[in-house]
Amino acid sequence: MNASKATLTACVAALALLAGCHEPVSVTVYEAGEYKGESDPLLKAHAKSESKEALQKRFSMGQSDR
Amino acid sequence: MARMKFLCDSERCIECNGCVTACKNEHEVPWGVNRRRVVTLDDGVPGERSISVACMHCTDAPCAAVCPVDCFYTTDDGIVLHDKDLCIGCGYCFYACPFGAPQYPQKEAFGVRGKMDKCTFCAGGPQGKDNSEEERKKYGRNRIAEGKLPLCAEMCSTKALLAGDGDMVADIYRERVLKRSGRPQTWGWETAYQEDV
Repeated sequence: MNASKATLTACVAALALLAGCHEPVSVTVYEAGEYKGESDPLLKAHAKSESKEALQKRFSMGQSDR
Repeated sequence: MARMKFLCDSERCIECNGCVTACKNEHEVPWGVNRRRVVTLDDGVPGERSISVACMHCTDAPCAAVCPVDCFYTTDDGIVLHDKDLCIGCGYCFYACPFGAPQYPQKEAFGVRGKMDKCTFCAGGPQGKDNSEEERKKYGRNRIAEGKLPLCAEMCSTKALLAGDGDMVADIYRERVLKRSGRPQTWGWETAYQEDV
């Protein structure tokens, strides 16, 4: 009885240990000249003409010669 | 479409290093990494010139051309950014860049450098939402998303460093050169090929 309990405990412990070794693997296969990273939300936001105008306004306010 | 550009007017730069400090402070750049630096030519000699140098966000960026994992991307207006999750820290971009812009935070045994870090034109990177905590930790603050321009240029007390729409930057510089009645003295035919050529 005790031996079977010990075996069961050992099995559970071994499973828990093995589960701890698990590592999620995601492979990125690179292709020449192709960006495969996360997309940048700035690209969409910055495509609007308002944001470009805001930057131009800020430039003329702060950096132009007086 | 206009492209975002930096320009440093060597006639105006006084080597105060305000741009370097502003950049380090704004993005909490780690010790040993300088996204921007001031280079002085003929230091201590009358006529010395200083320029502030960082990533120049090249139109045909050599760093992107040599990257074996293609971790670089360019925004519509020419800001060259990279993904630190894809970067393998190989250092090819450092060898390719003529400005020494790519920086590496770790210097350990066996050539371990860590992920490459460089000037983002204050536009962050591709991590989560704009100005999220993860983006700020990895790439620094995203001022462009806030409608602001790079702090290095906005902090420049003599307006030597300009950052913004390339056409507007060029107009300002052209006007300055005309006011000085001539061409800038540091760069030019005489400098490159000696005065007697």
